[in-house]
Amino acid sequence: MSSAAQSSAQSSAPQPSESNQAPGGSAPGLTYQPHVDICDCGAEVLIRADVPGARPEGIDVSYEDGVLSVKAVVPARTLPGRSLREEYGVGDYRRSFRLGEGFDAAQIAAEYRHGLLTIRVPRLAAVRPRKIAVHTA
Amino acid sequence: MPTFRAGFAHPLDELRDEFDRLWTSLTTAPPLHGWGPEQPTAAFPAVNIAETDDCLTIEAELPGLDVGDIDISATGEELLLKGSRPASLSESSRSGLPEGSEGSRSSSVPEGSDGNGSAEPRGVTWHRRERGSREFERRITLPATIDPSGVEARLVDGVLTVTCPKAAEAQPHRVSVHSA
Repeated sequence: MSSAAQSSAQSSAPQPSESNQAPGGSAPGLTYQPHVDICDCGAEVLIRADVPGARPEGIDVSYEDGVLSVKAVVPARTLPGRSLREEYGVGDYRRSFRLGEGFDAAQIAAEYRHGLLTIRVPRLAAVRPRKIAVHTA
Repeated sequence: MPTFRAGFAHPLDELRDEFDRLWTSLTTAPPLHGWGPEQPTAAFPAVNIAETDDCLTIEAELPGLDVGDIDISATGEELLLKGSRPASLSESSRSGLPEGSEGSRSSSVPEGSDGNGSAEPRGVTWHRRERGSREFERRITLPATIDPSGVEARLVDGVLTVTCPKAAEAQPHRVSVHSA
């Protein structure tokens, strides 16, 4: 099943938009869609998302009905003193992707390092592309 | 007085306020850090700067970069941020992405302008390539003279924070008033 080929991003929130359920302690009500790279490697689909400022414990990755959802709570951080320049905003991240069927939900793995979240979604062995060798008689 | 009308209008006022708030947040919210696929139009990387009486703090979001990817130098009036973020694929090899050896599909997404197409392993299809990879160099003119030897930088969860103590002459200094 090559369903991931049509992995359409479901925009969970306009960018940026008001978050109506920002948990306490997070940045004041902004939610951004993180930039992502999505790569289909055959045996697995690899997703990388930039979520700088998130703590590992504030990241939530879930997969349900073929939709992979990523949420990352970014703790509010204010620079000491008075602000002289504000070129970017700080907020939570939220985005979801429709991957389709044929993935092994139990084997989804996520890793977080230096503000970069890497998620590996392996295909079920039965639906992995397979090359069949042709033998001569 | 028109208590009925006031009571009737109340929920609509709330709704209007809610829309105003939403609209304001959509139109005035600061942009994301700028690591998108397109070349940045403004100075890059984007920074937030704040000051206290004795120090300046400069913050930038550099997701995916390690300490060794960033080079910071400071003079009394200027801070220079240099670095580069490797393309997604070289990150893959760093983190042990298995080579996509199964199947023979070639990349269906045209390569971006980052020129790393030659390293593309076979059988890998990109569905999204939004995370830009680029080199950057930004010279920030500081609003106060700093002591370059006291500059400290920390990189935590992809957020770089540079603390620059102000030079003694740039710090506000208290003048005591004597009575005659």
